Amino acid sequence: MSDQGILAAIAGQEARWRAYDWRLIPGVPRAPLMNMALDEVLTLRVGSGERPPTIRIWGWSERCVVLGRFQSVKNEVDEAAARAHGVQLVRRISGGGAMFIEPEGAITYSIYAPEAMVWGMNFPESYAFFDAWVVEALRGLGVDARYGPLNDITSAGGKIGGAAQARRGGAVLHHTTMAYQMNVPLMLAVLRIGKEKLSDKGITSAEKRVGPLRQQTDLSRAAIIDLLVGAFRATYGLAEDIVTAAELAEAERLVQSRFGTREWIYFLP
Amino acid sequence: MHGEYKTPGGKLVRVDLEVRDDVLRDIVVSGDFFLYPEEALADITGSLDGLPVALSDDEIATRVAAAIPAGTEWLGSSPRALAIAVGRALRLEPEAGS
Repeated sequence: MSDQGILAAIAGQEARWRAYDWRLIPGVPRAPLMNMALDEVLTLRVGSGERPPTIRIWGWSERCVVLGRFQSVKNEVDEAAARAHGVQLVRRISGGGAMFIEPEGAITYSIYAPEAMVWGMNFPESYAFFDAWVVEALRGLGVDARYGPLNDITSAGGKIGGAAQARRGGAVLHHTTMAYQMNVPLMLAVLRIGKEKLSDKGITSAEKRVGPLRQQTDLSRAAIIDLLVGAFRATYGLAEDIVTAAELAEAERLVQSRFGTREWIYFLP
Repeated sequence: MHGEYKTPGGKLVRVDLEVRDDVLRDIVVSGDFFLYPEEALADITGSLDGLPVALSDDEIATRVAAAIPAGTEWLGSSPRALAIAVGRALRLEPEAGS
């Protein structure tokens, strides 16, 4: 389907957002492994109805590389360089590409929604649907943002970020990471970005691909997050919430049993 | 051996493999694609195990496609893309642009 076809298919679907009472979990710094585990826990709890549909802003306590579900460690990461620079390696539950994260360099959020919310949509349409509000909100900040299939948020100045989805237990996890500012030399030292990956982009360097928000606005990272959240709240409503003690405990157990294990992180060596 | 292929406008699929007794072994399929359900990766990887090296890309693509359970969504890549990556690994072709 063409880009225009996808956007036409999701036009007029905003009412689907208003059908739910949305909760907001504000960003507090968390260990990368806890961020991975919380996505699993909160997705399942929204799927089971124990938790209302929720948006979680991520905070990061340290540098890390977040591998996609199906990426191999050695093909994506220079592990010696990662160790040397104190960059932790974690694997998320969704597909897509590796992200190099520094705590103040990225804006990440997760949307946990009942699968019914995207009923009748194919996967490409559901990506565009979940990204539409943030594209609109970024435009409201003066950033020339657009949706780029399948999972990009892009702009004339380069790619701003990307989304990924996982589905389980009757819920959709749609999480998005946007670059605020980038330490390109460190990113290139840690991530292996081959020429094949850029082969259809008409460009030869990863650096030229990206357009971090800091280059496109004078706003601070915190101000951008506040404005994005405010735009969502104004349009669809949003009530403040927290991760419950039970959810935190469950996520901590999952860090021990799954996300922090060698079997998970090196699922594809 | 290692081969990769980026679907234009889509995602990268990589394959690492060995050839023993003229068949493919020790297969690892990876990439930045999306796959629903996640467990289908084992079906895709398993479909390559034991295939004769003499198969054409078309024949490889057909075997991979046949192994993917109905209802699976593979976004950004495809059996055809994986077959090209396998072909590149076997023929030691360089990746695009190098």
